[in-house]
Amino acid sequence: MVLHRVLLVLAILLAAIRPASAEKLTVLLDWFINPDHAPLFVALEKGYFRDAGLEVELIAPADPNDPPKLVAARQADIAVSYQPQLHLQVAAGLPLARIGTMVATPLVTVVALADGPVKTMADLKGRKIGYSVAGSEEALLKAMLAKNGLKLTDVTLVNVNFALVQALLSEQVAAVIGAYRNFELNQLEIEKRPGRAFYPEEEGVPAFDELIFVARNDRLSDPNFRKFLDAVERGTLFLINHPEESWGLFIKNHKELDDELNRRAWRDTLPRFAHSPAALDAQRYERFARFLNAAGLIPSVPALSSYAVELK
Amino acid sequence: MIVHTSRLALPPVPDRTRRSGTALLPALARLATVAAGLVLMWQAIVLATGAPHYILPGPLGVGRALVESRELILFHAALTLSEVMLGLALGAACGAAAAIALAYFRPARRWLLPVLVASQAIPVFAVAPLLVLWLGYGMASKVAMAALIIFFPVTTAFFDGLRRTDPAWLDTALTLGAGRATLLWRVRVPAALPGFASGLRIAVAVAPIGAVVGEWVGSSAGLGFLMLHANARVQIELMFAALLVLMAIGVALYLAADALLRRLVFWQADAPPAED
Repeated sequence: MVLHRVLLVLAILLAAIRPASAEKLTVLLDWFINPDHAPLFVALEKGYFRDAGLEVELIAPADPNDPPKLVAARQADIAVSYQPQLHLQVAAGLPLARIGTMVATPLVTVVALADGPVKTMADLKGRKIGYSVAGSEEALLKAMLAKNGLKLTDVTLVNVNFALVQALLSEQVAAVIGAYRNFELNQLEIEKRPGRAFYPEEEGVPAFDELIFVARNDRLSDPNFRKFLDAVERGTLFLINHPEESWGLFIKNHKELDDELNRRAWRDTLPRFAHSPAALDAQRYERFARFLNAAGLIPSVPALSSYAVELK
Repeated sequence: MIVHTSRLALPPVPDRTRRSGTALLPALARLATVAAGLVLMWQAIVLATGAPHYILPGPLGVGRALVESRELILFHAALTLSEVMLGLALGAACGAAAAIALAYFRPARRWLLPVLVASQAIPVFAVAPLLVLWLGYGMASKVAMAALIIFFPVTTAFFDGLRRTDPAWLDTALTLGAGRATLLWRVRVPAALPGFASGLRIAVAVAPIGAVVGEWVGSSAGLGFLMLHANARVQIELMFAALLVLMAIGVALYLAADALLRRLVFWQADAPPAED
């Protein structure tokens, strides 16, 4: 009984010293927890969100297509998503806007086996290309093939869902699009079948942000979003200054992530995090919108302010 | 085949002809009423919840997608339908063979039955990615998936039928000097066909699930592929349209199989409807 009372008093004291107005923010990740989400987990473990008066909950979804829709439907506050996907979703009428960037370069690549028959993009003619579930990969591939004198009809696209590496290793497909340079390339190396990567931004696709934060476009005046991004910025800086210590923070509550693949991906992802998550390069977004429009994936190029903002 | 002589204790066999012809129109009218009611409910839910189209599209939008993309949907539906039909043929044949083997050979029963039951505990969704890697991204893996998902219901339903032959018929056949094989083929199998038919009815309803699961994990065509693709492109109306077509295929297959099986297994009479 005495113990119970002591605990009760402790609980009351703890509740009293916590910021009274901790605002709850639900953040949906794009995929299961992986090193791409490092700034979020460092900010969480270092207490940067708490310092900003935020109580942030990070949730991994079952399907990477869901988070933006759930935010649009007010089921969550912020979603981690992909820039190409945002353009398509805004064109489809989702009331979303990009409020920040987490990974500022493309991560997606076209990967073939290094010892396989595909030495250049042009070697893909007449072969099968596996892709993961996404809407924009077709546009990327179309542009990358066009630069090498091929059309989409010169290849067969196969939806391999999430089995990108398996599809490649079993040689059911000659290449896959959607493999991440920081992840699948390492996975192939660990399996002793190194891959050969073709980078979209080197093959005719304008550069884009791989991972962005999106929120409902009618909630952009919410001051918590800017606080959230500032905490992510602190997380990113700590991550870059103290990579080893950050790795320890990342796996502290996620022991299942402590493996060779994640350690390698961690190292390869570090240089790709946005140093100023809240900053927006307007020209870069509009250039990508024009690219998607020219590829026939979005019917028009909307006003930038309707789908990407820099929060005050 | 005059097996129903031993069914004297059962209610009289209803007149089969009553079902066809005149009863068809009211049945269609009922179907249309139910469908219209469901569509109205659907529209009511959309209006009441104010759900945006990317969460729950209304029937009008889906209808428009169905009309506008009819060629696309038809192309993918034809492929899925052929996967389902081939899967049904393969699964039913394997299921029937397995049931007869189980009924005829005691060791098969002892050794294989536990394996069969265990195989049913494996979710197809878990093995689907493997099957695709083994059999490729073409039709073979989808046919295998559809066959796999119907194999167990067909086998158990048929095997159950084979185990429950009326002892009176077996006695009669034995008295008349029937051997083991004759007993199986001339008495037990015909008597078990109604059970086989029940298994097949379940099979036609679930076979499309198998094919679509196969398409889900790896494909370049088919309704499952189309649904995934439409979902990723936020073309939710198209996704629902494909879903509706898949449902229609399921219902049509069930009705066709039911009509066919009634005709073929005519000695399995419907019980007269219970009075309310």
